[in-house]
Amino acid sequence: MKLKDTVNKVFLKQSARAGLLLVIVAALTLEATGIVQYYFSQKGIKEEATRRAESQLEATKLKIINIIDQAEAAVRNSVWLAQWALEVPDSLYAVSRRIVENNPVIVGSTVALVPGYDKKHPLFSPYCFQAPGETGIHVSSLATEEYNYPEQEWFTKPLELQAGYWSEPYIDVGGGDILMTTYSIPLRDRYGRIAGVLTADISLDWLTDLVGNVQVYPNAYSMMISRSGRIMVCPAESLVMRRTAQEVIADMDDTAAFAGVNRSMIAGERGNATIRYNKDVTHIFYAPVEKTGWSMSIMVPDSEIYGNIRRMGLMVKLLQLLGLLMLILILRALMMNQLKFIDLNERKERIESELHIASGIQMSMIPKIFPPFPERKDLDMSATIVPAKEVGGDLYDFYIRDEKLFFCIGDVSGKGVPASLVMAVTRSLFRTVSAHESSPQRILTTMNDSMAEVNESNMFVTFFVGILDLANGHMRYCNAGHNAPIMLTDAKRPLPVEANLPLGVLKGFNFKEQETDMNYDDAIFLYTDGLTEAENLHHELFGEDRMYNVLSARRPSDGQMTAMKEAVREFVGDAPQSDDLTMLFIHYLPEAEPEETERHLILHNDIQQIPQLAEFVETIADEKKLDQATALNLNLALEEAVTNVIMYAYPEGSDGLVDIEAIIRKDSLEFIISDNGVPFDPTKAPEADVTLGAEERRIGGLGIFLVRKIMDSVSYARNDGKNILSMTKKI
Amino acid sequence: MEVTINRQDDKTIVVFAGRLDTPSSQEVSNALEPVVADAKGTIILDCKDLEYISSSGLRIFLTVRKAAAAQGGSVIVKGMKDAIRNIFMMTGFLNLFQIEA
Repeated sequence: MKLKDTVNKVFLKQSARAGLLLVIVAALTLEATGIVQYYFSQKGIKEEATRRAESQLEATKLKIINIIDQAEAAVRNSVWLAQWALEVPDSLYAVSRRIVENNPVIVGSTVALVPGYDKKHPLFSPYCFQAPGETGIHVSSLATEEYNYPEQEWFTKPLELQAGYWSEPYIDVGGGDILMTTYSIPLRDRYGRIAGVLTADISLDWLTDLVGNVQVYPNAYSMMISRSGRIMVCPAESLVMRRTAQEVIADMDDTAAFAGVNRSMIAGERGNATIRYNKDVTHIFYAPVEKTGWSMSIMVPDSEIYGNIRRMGLMVKLLQLLGLLMLILILRALMMNQLKFIDLNERKERIESELHIASGIQMSMIPKIFPPFPERKDLDMSATIVPAKEVGGDLYDFYIRDEKLFFCIGDVSGKGVPASLVMAVTRSLFRTVSAHESSPQRILTTMNDSMAEVNESNMFVTFFVGILDLANGHMRYCNAGHNAPIMLTDAKRPLPVEANLPLGVLKGFNFKEQETDMNYDDAIFLYTDGLTEAENLHHELFGEDRMYNVLSARRPSDGQMTAMKEAVREFVGDAPQSDDLTMLFIHYLPEAEPEETERHLILHNDIQQIPQLAEFVETIADEKKLDQATALNLNLALEEAVTNVIMYAYPEGSDGLVDIEAIIRKDSLEFIISDNGVPFDPTKAPEADVTLGAEERRIGGLGIFLVRKIMDSVSYARNDGKNILSMTKKI
Repeated sequence: MEVTINRQDDKTIVVFAGRLDTPSSQEVSNALEPVVADAKGTIILDCKDLEYISSSGLRIFLTVRKAAAAQGGSVIVKGMKDAIRNIFMMTGFLNLFQIEA
């Protein structure tokens, strides 16, 4: 009796120590992965925010420059007419009128003569303008004593600089308080004498909308300032055009931080800065708008960028604490129970069941309710893990984001608690990384880098990630040393996979991504080696033949899982299961194919066949009930693209074919033009500059310019010795 | 595609009718050779019956415009339909010509 008590005490002490160690190891692992995860997510989010802000800045800038270029081109291209009209100054108003009439972006224009240039009129400046909200063009004169145009900036600056000049933006009081800017260039007569300036006013009304509507984040906002720092667009309307950024900054409690950014902006630099003002941290991204001297900035509150990840970090911490607490409770309960089990064999079983419970906690995080998406008719999927006696490190996971099915399967090297902890880490990394990444290659690279960084135990994970686009069956995938999944189409064969390293082996390893397409009724079967390497009492392996045998029968996904498990059980008999057995079966059953019809036309490389093409396009336009202008534009784009092939793809005098395929969809038309000619990418060919004047215009490039302008997207590929140009028009 | 040329003194009227696409540009370009060769006066390009124009057609317009500028003549484009006018606007050609309704 006494002896038994002593044994009990010693045993209890030992298991308490082991339990404590277990808890400490688990806590450390969880904390370490938490830190790594947080660090990488934060880095990724910062990069994402910068990318978003910069691409918004760039896109907005291009829209502005496009309008600026149009106005500049219109003025430059009218100089010849103005020169001509100088002979009879009274006809100058017709030049201004024409500029306003022919260019929707221009609201006003004048030709202002140098005082005394014309003998009859000491001051002369006929002004044509489009009043807001009215049709027709009004004419007035700027040559009044009170306005005194020779003193105005738009008149003096271009003459002083001897070049085109964009004026500081100003509020046009006469025309209903609109924000405007004026482009003016010096005008010489045919004897080379300075005669005056030619100008175009553009309204900047759209600028407020364009810049104001840039929404990188819900609470972010944008500003634009002129070259002198005057505020042109800003959420606080009372400041617009009334104050300069310098004045606003001077009124602040802490001027230093903002003043630096403002100086950079006025200097026309691009960049970003993080500013702390009254405890608020704001990230500012800014870039200049060339030619005008304006600078645009996007301001994003810090909480907007990092709010989510901070909340997530807190949640993870709470869950970790909860998990540890459960572990402690379980261990305590087990220890109490152990008093009753002195027998060493029984004690061993206890530990195993304890480990089972630990692994049960991990398993509870994996989706286990099937069918997982009962509302979806296009997806029939099942998955299962049959754990071995000893806990292992198999995992699978899947979820749907943006109509894409993200799924993965993995097998951690080694067994026991460490393996199951690594599995938990892997699974949570997969969720975090794939939440804002849609490339399997980048998901694996990020996961690998963070795992390799802290991999002191040299454990690694074989892992497969697939992303199936449920809308079209396109699947991108990346395999990190896992068994190749089996594709079940008409044939059954392993999916081709690149020989990538498993996760956690080598930091910075460059994973190669692959892609394939799943059609209606195709399925994919993923498994771990616990299936093919299941052993019977004679040490024979279950093997791939038996696996294919089961897969060859057609069953719903849950039927496949049951049949496979049954086959393994029958084969293995009484032998103990040595490894986890994990399987995932995805059966793709999209609803009827997306509605589209196809039309085909094959032409010889003979320009005389173009009318056939026109007829072809006409039929499609009629069928889709396109309006006449769209039909004509479509015709034009097709003719230009096909003419290009006819003229340049084949050597002169040789016979070749041009294949035109039209794919007609509900809301778009796609044309695919292919030929067997010499490789030629028209999208790379130089494009015509449509802002040039007649004299500088070159003959080439106009065709592809028109194609791009008319179609919504144009892309080129060289495949199987063919030039393939595909272009899409939304309708 | 039909093109009619009518010359009186220093005024030339060219009337386009139909589709000015790539195949027809070659003959139109040939037909306009005398106009390009002697472009000192006023050339009126009448487009009221022009149904369609491709980039090779636009090039013909540009050739006439350049010839006139070099020889001291002038070019007026007249009566364009909206769809044609739209193509002129898209390519910046509207600014290169004197346009009349």
